[in-house]
Amino acid sequence: MATWPAFNVVYGTVTVQRPKDLPEPMETVLFVGTEKGAFLMRSQDRTRWAIEGPLFKGWKVTAAARAPDGRFVAASASHVYGPMLHVSDNLQTWQAVADGPRYLDGRKLQQIWTVVPVAGGMYAGVAEAGLFFTNDPMGPWQPVPGLNDHPTRVAWQPGLGGLCAHVLLHNPRNTDQLWCGISAVGVFRSDDAGETWQPKNRGIPVAIEDKEHKEIGFCVHGLALDPHNPAILYRQDHLGMFRSTDGGDTWHDNSAGLPANFGFPIVTDPTTGTVYAYPLQSDEYRLPPGGAMAVYRSRDQGLTWTACREGLMQKGAWTTVLRGALSVDGQSPCGVYLGTTSGTVHYSIDGGDTWQHQHVLLPRILCVEVFTIRE
Amino acid sequence: MPRVTVYLPSLLANLTGERTVPVTAESVGEALKVLTTCHPALLQAIFDESGALREHVLCFHNKENTRWHVRGLQRQLRPGDRLTLLQAVAGG
Repeated sequence: MATWPAFNVVYGTVTVQRPKDLPEPMETVLFVGTEKGAFLMRSQDRTRWAIEGPLFKGWKVTAAARAPDGRFVAASASHVYGPMLHVSDNLQTWQAVADGPRYLDGRKLQQIWTVVPVAGGMYAGVAEAGLFFTNDPMGPWQPVPGLNDHPTRVAWQPGLGGLCAHVLLHNPRNTDQLWCGISAVGVFRSDDAGETWQPKNRGIPVAIEDKEHKEIGFCVHGLALDPHNPAILYRQDHLGMFRSTDGGDTWHDNSAGLPANFGFPIVTDPTTGTVYAYPLQSDEYRLPPGGAMAVYRSRDQGLTWTACREGLMQKGAWTTVLRGALSVDGQSPCGVYLGTTSGTVHYSIDGGDTWQHQHVLLPRILCVEVFTIRE
Repeated sequence: MPRVTVYLPSLLANLTGERTVPVTAESVGEALKVLTTCHPALLQAIFDESGALREHVLCFHNKENTRWHVRGLQRQLRPGDRLTLLQAVAGG
């Protein structure tokens, strides 16, 4: 592949323009959040990587995203100081957000699990479970009462990871439609831009049954949307892998072909719609079956699954990929990235066919985000 | 009004850019209020939802732990006093 300087080069007064047939230069940046800070991995070609960090040294880094205006947002946490958001123009210098998510009614903000850009702003999903919204990442972040004070709230129970709103999806074709996953409560959908929320768990086995509120008590682990058909959702649940073809109204088991029906992350390539998951053996063990690492890929909207193993450890890999630690870059072919609880980072730049690893051994990895920065 | 120095643990110093912050205040509580006004991101890190010091944050006034002192954050300051914020460290 031809290479070209990151920017047009100026020699004296002459500017050398980039030939039109060369691809637009872009940088792929992996943001890896760990128990003790974040690390950046930068590459112009997704092959040679420069590693930077730690950022937020000593802080747990739980999520990262890019705001609609291009700024970067990271979430940190500490068992002493609590959670906090940070905003950056360049991934180098960060400003702490003073007016971030915060309950004013006695509920404790324990962790920020996800930060998601939507049209006109950003959502943060937090523990104790709830959503906050802002027009500006620097705040103020406002609570979303339609979910945070939902009529079923009194019966919400935590999973092993706490009572957390850990995933938010939005329909790119209908900005009013949102989905939120809460452990161990279930999936909620809003059709009115977050004003009201309805539980959407029909067809899912119940995990914690409530005597009164039968519509909740479901332990969603991961949720992903088909980029071409927003009626299709994929759900890695505590009790299986499921798919919906009606926007979450009903769910059907689609775990056939997977080696285990437990797991956490599930993502879709925004370009092709290919689905990626990382199955684990049961809630008792939470380990890759047989100690062999494998990402499972579906190119037919979750109907069949293929193991992607080449280049991943197939013996002695007793490690886990947490729900935020699997990501895709949407480039062509798709880059797929994962971080393990053992601190290793693995990536594929051919849609999962073959895998390499970064030469790092980091603290326990909590989240992996990938940013494609066009210069 | 007494001018005192607040010493921050290194994790919080990342938020202020400095380990020590000079503050002018009459009491410990007022000093922390001035500190968090100058550095608003510290407010949520030091105080919990009820407005009390977070469970694992200690504030020493010179050599006295304010959490164990009857006057707590109401303790009066003198010029040159030292306030030290400490975080609990435990484990093996």
